[in-house]
Amino acid sequence: MNFPKELRYTKSHEWARKEGNKVTVGITDYAQKEISDVVFVELPKLQQSAQQGKTVAVVESVKAAFDIYAPVTGKVAKTNTQLESDPALVNQDCYGRGWFYEIEMLNAAEWDSLMTAEQYEKNLKQEIK
Amino acid sequence: MSASSEANVRSLPLQDRHARAGARFGAFGEWNVPLYYTSILEEHKAVRTRAGIFDISHMGEFFFRGSGAAKFLNNLLPRDIESQKPGRALYMPLLREDGTIVDDIIVYRYSADEFLMILNAGNIEKDYNWIKRWVPADVEFRNASDELGLLALQGPATEEIAARIFPEIDLKSVAYYGFLKWNNGMIARTGYTGERGFEIMAPHKDLVAVWDNILDVGAGPCARPTNDAGAHRGAPLHCVPVGFGARDTLRLEAGMPLYGHDMNDEITPLELGIEWAIDLQKKSFIGHDALLKQKQSGITKKLIGFEMLDRGIPRQGQEIQKSGKKIGEVTSGSFAPTLEKNIGLGYVASENSEIGSEIEIMIREKSLKSRVVELPFYRRSK
Repeated sequence: MNFPKELRYTKSHEWARKEGNKVTVGITDYAQKEISDVVFVELPKLQQSAQQGKTVAVVESVKAAFDIYAPVTGKVAKTNTQLESDPALVNQDCYGRGWFYEIEMLNAAEWDSLMTAEQYEKNLKQEIK
Repeated sequence: MSASSEANVRSLPLQDRHARAGARFGAFGEWNVPLYYTSILEEHKAVRTRAGIFDISHMGEFFFRGSGAAKFLNNLLPRDIESQKPGRALYMPLLREDGTIVDDIIVYRYSADEFLMILNAGNIEKDYNWIKRWVPADVEFRNASDELGLLALQGPATEEIAARIFPEIDLKSVAYYGFLKWNNGMIARTGYTGERGFEIMAPHKDLVAVWDNILDVGAGPCARPTNDAGAHRGAPLHCVPVGFGARDTLRLEAGMPLYGHDMNDEITPLELGIEWAIDLQKKSFIGHDALLKQKQSGITKKLIGFEMLDRGIPRQGQEIQKSGKKIGEVTSGSFAPTLEKNIGLGYVASENSEIGSEIEIMIREKSLKSRVVELPFYRRSK
């Protein structure tokens, strides 16, 4: 499994990429493999406020629905509407074309509370033990 | 998203084959079953376009033998068992006196005095106890569920694969819902996918070879076209193992109800919409009078099929509404891979069951538009 070094991660298996105060969010390689065939994505509304650790999107496999949590607090600035017509992008390219949404982060300190790739992998190893 | 291991979990007889094929396991009742091997979508497509093999050995098998067997089953069951011919199978519900469904079953007549019943895994004990109280002295009643396993070979390329696996058997002579005895078991033209195919019953020890042979042959090229358009001629058969995930999406597209979801101990066959599987012309059977009465007075709720108009996947337990008022509940729901639509089954008040009427499904506190459609959702081209 692949966990790019430049990203930050959550215990709930989201990844986050920062450019200035903009944070792009998706689900990790581990999460997309666990969920398996993604057949439906429900995105947040633009300008909707997102709170760290709260549900902002939903991803569904053939069998079940999974919540996607916001890694940081802020406003939703962009969403990847392509996922609505092509949800399989989440499986095919989870760190690229399979991104979910972008948040304008309110509190930069929250970024530092996220896990590095190394910490995430360590945490994951314990979780799936 | 974490897998849990429990104490009283039962494994299928081909567990090591599934593990070797890379299965992702999950719970189905008390059974640890393969959910998928590669992907539910891929396995679903394989069955619709080529062939798939399922291990459904969790299912239960009861035998009835003796001079009184036909008469006994005819009194117990809602179809005409006495005129059922040897080599023929019948689908039907097993009923209580009040007409509610104990289980849905298939009854196979072996001979004048011998019958097999195949039933749902989760109901083996319940069915056994229910039937046992009615069994007379001249009928030997035996639960063989722990000895016999069942494989389902399903899909358009099935005929060709089966013909090569069982060269000694004239499978062409077996009609839909017909079967032949084979090697301490039987091969029937039945299934739970909406495709043509066979179900193969055999003692556990013989099952591994059948599984291996099917996958061996299924890896080879297809000699004959699998449909009139000449599709697949010369192409690999690609028969793949199929897990319980695709089994569920396949049966749902085919509009086939699942016990514990679309029917249970409180539902009657009239509400479920399987009146074709009961014979109210018969003078009597357990549940006959209650059902005749319900038919005369009319049912108050009914199973419907629906497809989503708004974006959203319906799931079991969600509320069905009409103009903002609750009229029922979803019992099965999924993305339908062949139809590329989101579909579901559920019970609604009879007056709201008309084909084409618009309803709403409550998904995550949102009211999403949906429409009642005819069942089955999917019908294979003949």
